[in-house]
Amino acid sequence: MSTADGLRVVTLAAQAEMALVRRDQVAGPLLAQAARAADGTPAGRLLREASAMVRGAPEREAVRQAALSLCRMALQDAHAQVLGAAS
Amino acid sequence: MSGRLLGQDAAVLGAAGVEVGTLRDIEQWAFRSVSRPAGARVVDAHCHLGVDRDGHALSADDLVADLDAAGIAAAVAFPADEPGPGGDFSQANQRVLDAAAAHADRIIPFCRVDPAVGAERAMDRAHAGGARGLKLHPVAQRFAPESDACVHAVRHAADLGWPVLFHAGFGARPLGPAFAALLEQVPTARVILAHGGRGDHRSLAAVAARYPHVVFDTSIAALPDLATIPPERVVFGSDRPYGDHAQALHLVGAAARVAGWDEVALRGVLGGNLMRLLGDGGAA
Ligand SMILES: [Zn+2]
Repeated sequence: MSTADGLRVVTLAAQAEMALVRRDQVAGPLLAQAARAADGTPAGRLLREASAMVRGAPEREAVRQAALSLCRMALQDAHAQVLGAAS
Repeated sequence: MSGRLLGQDAAVLGAAGVEVGTLRDIEQWAFRSVSRPAGARVVDAHCHLGVDRDGHALSADDLVADLDAAGIAAAVAFPADEPGPGGDFSQANQRVLDAAAAHADRIIPFCRVDPAVGAERAMDRAHAGGARGLKLHPVAQRFAPESDACVHAVRHAADLGWPVLFHAGFGARPLGPAFAALLEQVPTARVILAHGGRGDHRSLAAVAARYPHVVFDTSIAALPDLATIPPERVVFGSDRPYGDHAQALHLVGAAARVAGWDEVALRGVLGGNLMRLLGDGGAA
């Protein structure tokens, strides 16, 4: 994955994180976009799962918090990738 | 198998249509992503008990279940944002002390105060009840870290032998100059800046470098912030119930790989540094 590819995931995952924190409906589309951008990496699996969860039950608080956890781990992975350590 | 999953009730997630098995695999993968040095005692520096004004909630029993699931020995706990009718957190502090008494080896109680509302009295009462440190939240309680009231509270904590954990993220104010002004007045304060100082990391890291007893906790922190400071200045934390232990441990694993922390560094980050700050050097 190139630095540009990594930065794309960082950007989308960070936007999705804040959308989830703010309980903003845009979290769903952002997670789906981030998942596609991260396809084939560990972050991609986390974001795909978070995206599916939020799509299935967007108004459930437990789901929002679990999706937030997955999203943050994806962001951590993407940061690690850009900073040069595969995980 | 625990009924908890990513800090949530697994049954609630299942009822919402979530693939519980997949999520459990991910959680286990996250727990394993930190290679724990043999015998390392993992201690969480940052958990809230009670019911926050914004609805986030965590009971002592659920916290201990979460610690068990993640293989964490103990956790520092303090109240959520529930100052109570008198505004001095006295009821919430008492509940944390009760929780610590009920889970003596698992919960390390800190008290929370509003520096402007009977702080010294509240701290003395909590100290008598066994509290081991102080939590301050400049954004929630609307005070400046360098204000007279806050300086007094931090000085009193230092007199009691306590570290002070500050919320240090997600606000608009610049934090570097504020903490520089505070530390200038109480240079011996032992300070934990939460969230890796995410609210103003570059400036806070420069200030912290001048004071050996200032550390950053990893709760909901950003990896680039943690990976660029000395590991002896980093303490593991989760911010339960705002964060969970999977993301918290995964972050430490990622930071360790990026920054190249060795076993000694990782042992410190996972618990040793915090226990030293608590004046408990040998325990971890
Ligand atoms: Zn917190």
